[in-house]
Amino acid sequence: MNVTLTDVHRSFGKNKAVDGVSLELGPGVFGLLGPNGAGKTSLLRVLATVLPPSSGEIALLGRDPRMSAARRDIRRRLGYLPQNLGYYPSFTVVEFIEYFALLKEMPTSAVPKAVAAAVERVDLGPKAKAKLRTLSGGMLRRVGIAQAIVNNPDLLLLDEPTAGLDPEQRVQFRSLMRSLGENATVIASTHLVEDVGAACSEVALMSAGKIVFRGTPGELTARGEGHSVGDAPLERGYSAVLTEARS
Amino acid sequence: MTTTEVLKPPAAPAGSMRPISAGIRLTWLHLRTRRVPAGLLALAVCGALLRAALHWHWTFNSGPYAQQVPMIIEAGAAAVIAVTVHTPFGETEGSAGRYLPYLRLLAAIGLTGLAILALQLGAVGENLNEGVTVLARTVVGFTGLGLLCSLITGGLLAWTLPMGYMTFCQYALLEAWTAPWTWPVRPAADHGAWICSCAVFAAGLSLFTILGPRSRLSDNS
Amino acid sequence: MSALTMPLPGTARALRLELKRNAVPYLLPLLAAVFYFNTLRTADGFPPVWTLRASVISAHMLFEFSAFAGGLAAWAGSREGRRKTLDLVATTSRAAWARLSIALAGTLCWLLLAFLAGVALLYGRTAFQATWGGPPLWPVFVGAAGVTVVSVIGFACGVFFPGRFTAPLVAIGTLLLYQAGMHAAQSLEPGQAAYALLSPADAPPIVDAGIYHHVPPDRAVVQVMLMAGIAVGLLGALGLAPDLRRLATARSLASVRGAFARGDSWLLRTIAVVLITCGAGMAATAVSLAGTAQPDTIAGGWEIPALHSSAVDRSLPAAQACTSLNVAGSAFQVCVHKAFSFDLKEVAAALKPVIAEIAGLPGAPVGASEVASISGGQTVTSGMAGHPPVFTFTADRVGLMFGQFLGMPDPAAWRAGFQMGLLDAFLTSQPGAGHPAGPTRSGAAQQAVENALLTAVGTSPSELGGGQMLNGRPNAATSAAISAATRRFLALSASARRAWLAAHLSALRAGTITPAQIP
Repeated sequence: MNVTLTDVHRSFGKNKAVDGVSLELGPGVFGLLGPNGAGKTSLLRVLATVLPPSSGEIALLGRDPRMSAARRDIRRRLGYLPQNLGYYPSFTVVEFIEYFALLKEMPTSAVPKAVAAAVERVDLGPKAKAKLRTLSGGMLRRVGIAQAIVNNPDLLLLDEPTAGLDPEQRVQFRSLMRSLGENATVIASTHLVEDVGAACSEVALMSAGKIVFRGTPGELTARGEGHSVGDAPLERGYSAVLTEARS
Repeated sequence: MTTTEVLKPPAAPAGSMRPISAGIRLTWLHLRTRRVPAGLLALAVCGALLRAALHWHWTFNSGPYAQQVPMIIEAGAAAVIAVTVHTPFGETEGSAGRYLPYLRLLAAIGLTGLAILALQLGAVGENLNEGVTVLARTVVGFTGLGLLCSLITGGLLAWTLPMGYMTFCQYALLEAWTAPWTWPVRPAADHGAWICSCAVFAAGLSLFTILGPRSRLSDNS
Repeated sequence: MSALTMPLPGTARALRLELKRNAVPYLLPLLAAVFYFNTLRTADGFPPVWTLRASVISAHMLFEFSAFAGGLAAWAGSREGRRKTLDLVATTSRAAWARLSIALAGTLCWLLLAFLAGVALLYGRTAFQATWGGPPLWPVFVGAAGVTVVSVIGFACGVFFPGRFTAPLVAIGTLLLYQAGMHAAQSLEPGQAAYALLSPADAPPIVDAGIYHHVPPDRAVVQVMLMAGIAVGLLGALGLAPDLRRLATARSLASVRGAFARGDSWLLRTIAVVLITCGAGMAATAVSLAGTAQPDTIAGGWEIPALHSSAVDRSLPAAQACTSLNVAGSAFQVCVHKAFSFDLKEVAAALKPVIAEIAGLPGAPVGASEVASISGGQTVTSGMAGHPPVFTFTADRVGLMFGQFLGMPDPAAWRAGFQMGLLDAFLTSQPGAGHPAGPTRSGAAQQAVENALLTAVGTSPSELGGGQMLNGRPNAATSAAISAATRRFLALSASARRAWLAAHLSALRAGTITPAQIP
């Protein structure tokens, strides 16, 4: 298992952002759904070793992130795309990705090839030497994805990865996620249920800091039978589960 | 529906703001986005520094060199005003309506006045060599430079030109230059210095009001 | 993509990125303009003497660089906060300290490069003009240390307080510290707070500093030690930056434990604490050493016993440039130190007409020579020395005029200064005294004779701007008597003046002659 969470809690004052989440995940693409404020981003930040849990046990890639040496090893094998991507406007695409490749302590000799491969995988080859300030929002998102995958991570955490991407790029990105998920654990937090349906082998639905559903997209769709809210089967399943969780 | 009903604006719904209070609210929100409250604190720090410098004699008590340290602090106050012009919103704000230039103008003039007030309060009871008039003239001129600089560098780096010009004026002070564009080192009665300082401020304020500081979507703080 | 294939180590590649994308180069034109108007023009106003020209590094260059270095470094340090990349970079494996150090190094490289380029330009111009000596290095070390410490201070402020006001407030804070240090250093008296010695800002040294005696590096050493200590300590504090940030927002013991659980390894934290301790120790040592400073009894300035080397107290080998004047059939040699040989012709030209007036008279000098302005820790004034007497003067003082060798803002007044200095010494010193007697206060008769001789050689006494030596302030009657005596003595022929002086010089020097007795 690449990810093992046991009764993890994370609070911000009185707000319980993550309220007793337990998960075990191996290689594959795992979708994380939920309404705004459900705790998806907080959970991802805990998994990304940015936030410590308030309580509970975590093991990432078989290591305990509380130990600094283990945490360092996890971060070398981790890729993270936050919801709000910060960047340095004067950097070019290649420089930005290279910078993060170096921060992730990739072998120096491997950096150039890895950066080039990441740029190609997100289809930004023609814009490789463009400065980030000249890129559109969707392109910036792809740069963010590129920096997350440059080190071929074993654990890839993506928060709203397809925000700003056009439909064609979303299709390409789902294909990328599936290929990455063959060997790594990919966790994608998203509002777009069609991304989940198309790319994820398993999905969890969070509400008020708890996981209220875990299963395959097909099982989520089945939960929506007879439910009227939603334009697509997966959406109906989504809203049916949420309604049940809130009642 | 009659023409009258079309032309006449609909009645305001219950609980909506009156125009004056809406204007005050808008101004307050605008000032908060520019971190003006923190800027006022920074100006108060400048006033305190001036008081400390005069009280503990960090510089010469009289003569031309007495202007050295006050000039640094006056440039610092202008630099604080310059960085408050930075907008965190970029184009979003620029396309939002017609009030932005007035808000910019109001903020710049208000902060300049408050900066002069803060520094003068710091100098109360102490011997400020050339008095409040030269202090005001220096702050006004340096602020104009900062506003002009913001058109090129953006607000966050707009402090660089006032600082650079101040170091140039330190040399002018030592060499006793009399050119009007060295207004920080000229005596209070120098009309040319007044004209120069006010002209720079007017130019900076006008261009800043009309064009606003340079901003990009990527700039946020 | 050929740049990516260069086989550089990871840290070097990251540093290269920082150097490429740093904000400092965009502001170099402004810095260059300020450097030209402030530092370079000030240096050009000094004579081409290495020590004098080098003094502008601390007195001017450091000031203008501080204005920018602190602010730009604060800008660089606040980058992760401003650009909202804190979370993103926190998930990378490279230590936060390493990451911050690379950003700091990139900014510092540009600033030091600009600083050293300025020094190279300053020293290059001086090398073409100087006639003696070589470039002093301690001012460069002090300046570089100053730029470094200001940059580290600014960067640390930016890291811990990534707000928009940090950069300008850091800029004026460092300038105020500098200016306060300058003021304290210039008004420093023995026994006052020695911390003022630690400020690199200071007034220019005496004109012949480093020419007759070594400039002891003691003060420079403690300044570099203090600044290095502060820089090292702050560098260590940067290593604890992530922990300190998290601790600032921790609300419970669990949060505190969590804060420590997320940071760099305990080894790095230990190293950070060691650096902070070492830096603080170094700075404290510098402060305590400065507290032991004593006035230098050899060359002026200050020495610190624990750092002072006796080798520095040895005089530098004499190096004189001389010219010989033919005055009334005899040779009169005028000598200055080689460092001032550019002024030798003007000195000789100034003295020649006066020598012609007094040549052959009792006690008339047979030569003129520049000597060190500080000897045995005491200020040397101009006068007559030796037997036969030689008119001695210093680069710092000629008669009542100060800093004659600093330049010639008014050539007529400059010439008059030398002429007056010679006549002051000639008319007040006793022959055979064997000791450079400083210019003593003249009596009225001496002043009248001096004024007449100056006028006779074409120099108006008013050129001197009222710098005449008199016992106290003369009243109106005395001034009138002096003026009348001057006119009468001037009306005599040159031979008559010489004859009268030959007969009455001793009495004149003894002060027993009144203006009424002057023919």
